[in-house]
Amino acid sequence: MTFGRWIAIYGPSYLSGLAWTALVALGAGVAAVVWGTVLLLVRVAWGRAGARAVDGYVQLFRNTPVLLWIYLIYFAFPLIGLTWSAVICGGLALVLQNGAYISEIFRGSFRAIDPVQFDAARSLGLSRWGTFRKVVLPQVLVYSIPALGNQLILLLKDTSLLSAISVAELTMNAKLLTEQTGAAYEAFIVVAILYLAMVVLLEATARWARHTVRWRPTRHAL
Amino acid sequence: MIAIRGLHKRFPNGTDVLRGIDLTIDDGEIVALIGRSGSGKTTLLRCMNFLEDYDAGDIELDGATLWYRTDPTGRRVRMSESAIRARRQQMGIVFQQYNLFPHMTALENVYLGPCESQRRPVAEARAAAQALLERVGLGAKTGAYPFQLSGGEQQRVAIARALAMRPKVLLLDEITSALDPELVGEVLEVIRGLVLDRMMMVIVTHELNFAREVSHRIAYLSQGRIVEIGPPADIFDRPQDPTLKEFLRRVR
Amino acid sequence: MLILLVKGAMATLVLGVAGIAGGTALGVVLAALSFTRPWPLRSAYRLYVFLARGTPVLVLALLVFYGLAAMSIAVGPYVAGSIVLVIYASAFFAEVFRGGVLAIPAAQVESARSLGLPPLAFFRKIIAPIAFRYALPPYVNVCVMIIKASSVLSIISVWELTLAAREIIERTLDVFTVLGTAAALYFLMCFAVDRLGRRTERDLMRRGFMPERA
Repeated sequence: MTFGRWIAIYGPSYLSGLAWTALVALGAGVAAVVWGTVLLLVRVAWGRAGARAVDGYVQLFRNTPVLLWIYLIYFAFPLIGLTWSAVICGGLALVLQNGAYISEIFRGSFRAIDPVQFDAARSLGLSRWGTFRKVVLPQVLVYSIPALGNQLILLLKDTSLLSAISVAELTMNAKLLTEQTGAAYEAFIVVAILYLAMVVLLEATARWARHTVRWRPTRHAL
Repeated sequence: MIAIRGLHKRFPNGTDVLRGIDLTIDDGEIVALIGRSGSGKTTLLRCMNFLEDYDAGDIELDGATLWYRTDPTGRRVRMSESAIRARRQQMGIVFQQYNLFPHMTALENVYLGPCESQRRPVAEARAAAQALLERVGLGAKTGAYPFQLSGGEQQRVAIARALAMRPKVLLLDEITSALDPELVGEVLEVIRGLVLDRMMMVIVTHELNFAREVSHRIAYLSQGRIVEIGPPADIFDRPQDPTLKEFLRRVR
Repeated sequence: MLILLVKGAMATLVLGVAGIAGGTALGVVLAALSFTRPWPLRSAYRLYVFLARGTPVLVLALLVFYGLAAMSIAVGPYVAGSIVLVIYASAFFAEVFRGGVLAIPAAQVESARSLGLPPLAFFRKIIAPIAFRYALPPYVNVCVMIIKASSVLSIISVWELTLAAREIIERTLDVFTVLGTAAALYFLMCFAVDRLGRRTERDLMRRGFMPERA
């Protein structure tokens, strides 16, 4: 049958996969940003030991494939008594991996903050936590927007790996459709187009985010 | 001798940066271009060796028209890339910064052009380069990489590199503007030496005292035109144009 | 068991090297394409990079594998897997090379033009060496990325380290040891590449190029 008809018939079945992909990507994305913030906090608050620990964590996840962690959590958790669903297991792996990269992004942005601001904050009597919350975090987040956008796109693409543990996201959808209808090529091309569409959407969102922030750093950070 | 007639250039955004430049420079003459930012002085310099194209006008070197020719149908058209390349070698240029190739020593920077573009034998080119570096006071640092040299030393190497091509004219684009003040002197000293050699030079500079000292004529540009031109004494002591008077007042 | 994993690591290495080598070669061609004058060529480049980078590796792999089958081209899984990695890598490498060329300060390019250097010397002696030094750190990052991406091929039954690990787990349920060892092997490979890159950077710095100061 023609491509058009094929889409008309099987289109709707992609929706559930698409929804799951978007959901996992968003959820894991937010969680990874939170986790990255925690890692940043550890780095700045616990001196050399903290920095070393976070560096070690980052190195671990930079030099190993995320698929390995997906398998590890998925197969290992039942063995230690945690019977979480495949989505949670896979999502957790994505959070741990991307959290590492995001903490590195934050580290770069943190260094772009002029050290004078910390002196200013102290002179105003801000506590260390207050300084982190009101001075460090907002600037780090804004400076990181372009790089975060990129990382989110990588995260989105990595959700496809969850099909390896049978999570019903987009790629899994396509594989099932292939087995049902035997029309492999159409199935995967549609999937590729859908991913690309999501990437375009994310890139547009990142650009919008950069424009809506009303202040600019007084140095060259952005 | 360089003859520039009716030079016009418009930027893609619609700004007219050069609005009819007429300028003649004799052999051995030194002309300084001064003016505010945006007056067109740097653009004019860059048009001379065709780092910027221009929309109308002619540039001639020793009677030969450069950069554009008329094709059989009478239209004005760019010369071929090889023709442009050949003619560019007759004009040496030194930029404000980042002149030198960072992955080559000072000596290699200087003899690269003569070897590759002028096909001179390596031994000869190297010897000539050595002599030139000694002349600019860097004979002891021929094996140094740019990052090991001070800003002033880098600029001096850049001058040596331009001279190695044996150009007819030297174009200097604010070569001291990016230097720490204490390094400016050594570069200007080298230029003074070239004055004695009667090298034709076009200098874009903010160093008005230096321009006064070495130039035969100074051209003041404003809004894409040469508003006033003359010997340094006339320009500095007896300025006619009101914008020039204002410029000198602000800068002094 | 360990032997099996090491063999798997070798397969991973082979795939990685194939992807890196092919990706670099294709990447150079693509980067050159991106600097040409004709607009259709540059658009083709933009499109290729968008498609290859925006599609998940897994989907790309499925497309290639099923596509080859649909066109009745019969190649072994390793060849097909290498093709996937080459396509994926080439897009990233091309952008890295492009970035390296664009990072060269304008005055150096203009100096070379003013010296009237012929095109071959211009490229070989100026553009290539300087762009290489700017491109080196991101290049190494992409290399590590490709080695890790090879693990995705395990999902479509290309036998390499991750698939080896999975097979052992499904037999012995010895999850932690097996995956831990696999992780260590990946770590070794990626870390070695990273180290090699950093040593090359240091050697280049000694020979005269410090990107920060240019």
